[in-house]
Amino acid sequence: MTPGGILPAVGIGYRAVIDRWTRDNLDRFDALEITVDHCISTSKTLRSAIFDLVGRIPLTAHGVGLSLGTDAPLDLAYLDRVAEVVERLRAPAYSEHLAFTRVPGRETAALMPLPKTEAVAEAIIAKVQTVQSRVPFPFLLENITYVFEWPDSKLSDAEFLNLICLESGAGLLLDVENVYLNATNHGFDPYAFIDALRPGLVKEVHMAGGVTIRDESLAKPLLADSHSHPVPDAALDLLEYTLARQAPSVIILERDDRLEAGDEILNDVARIRARLAATRSRKTHGEALVGTAG
Amino acid sequence: MAKPLLERQASLIEYMTSSAAIFGRGGDLSLVQAIEGIDGPLLRIEAQFSYAKRMEKITAVLPRTFELLGNAEAELVRAFVESCPPTTINRLENARQFHRFLSSHWMRESPNPPYLCDVAACEIAFAEVDAHAAQPDAAHTPRIGIRRSLAVVLLRCAYDVRPIFEKGLKQGAPIKLETSLVIALPLGTDRAQVFEVVPAIFDLLASLDDWTDPKGPGAEPQLAKLLTDLAARGLVEVSQ
Repeated sequence: MTPGGILPAVGIGYRAVIDRWTRDNLDRFDALEITVDHCISTSKTLRSAIFDLVGRIPLTAHGVGLSLGTDAPLDLAYLDRVAEVVERLRAPAYSEHLAFTRVPGRETAALMPLPKTEAVAEAIIAKVQTVQSRVPFPFLLENITYVFEWPDSKLSDAEFLNLICLESGAGLLLDVENVYLNATNHGFDPYAFIDALRPGLVKEVHMAGGVTIRDESLAKPLLADSHSHPVPDAALDLLEYTLARQAPSVIILERDDRLEAGDEILNDVARIRARLAATRSRKTHGEALVGTAG
Repeated sequence: MAKPLLERQASLIEYMTSSAAIFGRGGDLSLVQAIEGIDGPLLRIEAQFSYAKRMEKITAVLPRTFELLGNAEAELVRAFVESCPPTTINRLENARQFHRFLSSHWMRESPNPPYLCDVAACEIAFAEVDAHAAQPDAAHTPRIGIRRSLAVVLLRCAYDVRPIFEKGLKQGAPIKLETSLVIALPLGTDRAQVFEVVPAIFDLLASLDDWTDPKGPGAEPQLAKLLTDLAARGLVEVSQ
């Protein structure tokens, strides 16, 4: 993924509103993540801008429009268009969320969780196989952040992901920020989550920073994945812990709001690189990184 | 026996896209029962996130319309949420849905300011032109002739709203004047533009919905020259 072959590459999610800024700072990134849906249903200008990046910098392909978790057949025509886009981007893999956003006739655009049961996992495995047959590139599932939980969930987040990925052959796009948010909001140990992931499972990583929502209707403040603020130190700690155990090929910083704060974005990229360097140094010196959160 | 997952997902989404969840009004008890066991306040937060995303998309397509709606916006948006649940993540389709809602509302109640419907129609037309331009080229058509470019929208407006798009809303109210507008993506440009055309040209473009032989009986040499000019501006397509 990186020009010199040093993994993992570090980059950002491409956003059209900062296209000029992104091009001006292209040498600060090893890769850019392209949202495939922006290549399927958008203006000619945006599509041209995106495809103009092919060959200038390595690109990864990420989707938001599949709604893999809807308990209904997948949109095969959509997958065919995704396949065309991934090929044109020369991306090494295609990733989507382990979530649902819609049911026939109604769409929320919010990534919502699934009941974590073996029956649901089985249904998802079959769908992942359909995706793999339609989009001939390695397929990665991304863990989402969720604000509510289905009462009939029986498996932990890690058990659910491990089961689906193991049986389907999908890799994991690990959103470290989502692990941190879910652990804080729902009270589990994020380090235990990372420990529970099968070695070699994590192929790509997402990082981001969000906001805290305080509402009188909520029992406690809620951390929200708004992709609007600097990555919290706690998420970077978790990234470093992850990098000691997994070998992703790329780390992407996601930013969707307050995009005018370019210095914050570059600073976050630098902070991620620093954690990467620290992990390499520890590996070189044979030190173990021990979890710090309980 | 447990309900099928799709049924539970549908109930959840129906609740999440309801005004009860988004604005905190009373709720449909049958929906609340269907999602029993899920934390209500957290669901409402999720519903508000989703609603905010949808409105952000609509506002991005109709910025001047929203600015002109002024104090009426809150009430209209609530009515929109209640009558038009989201059906897609597509930005333009959500904007079209809101525009259809507004158009229907303006059939019952005149828009204020009165040129608002022309402004909204133009904004949707700009987005439509961009979207047509984004579509991959259709399979080659064996037909010979000319037709109006697919990335052209024709609008007859009661007000000359062009200054609003050229100079902004601070220019004051546009004058009441029947105006024939063409919104198109001129060749060599990447942004839709609005032009006024004389009614005869407007009618000619309107008649070119399908492939037409320009050399048919009665065709005049001036027409050929005019069509060449329109083709050079990207307003008509020529297939030979």
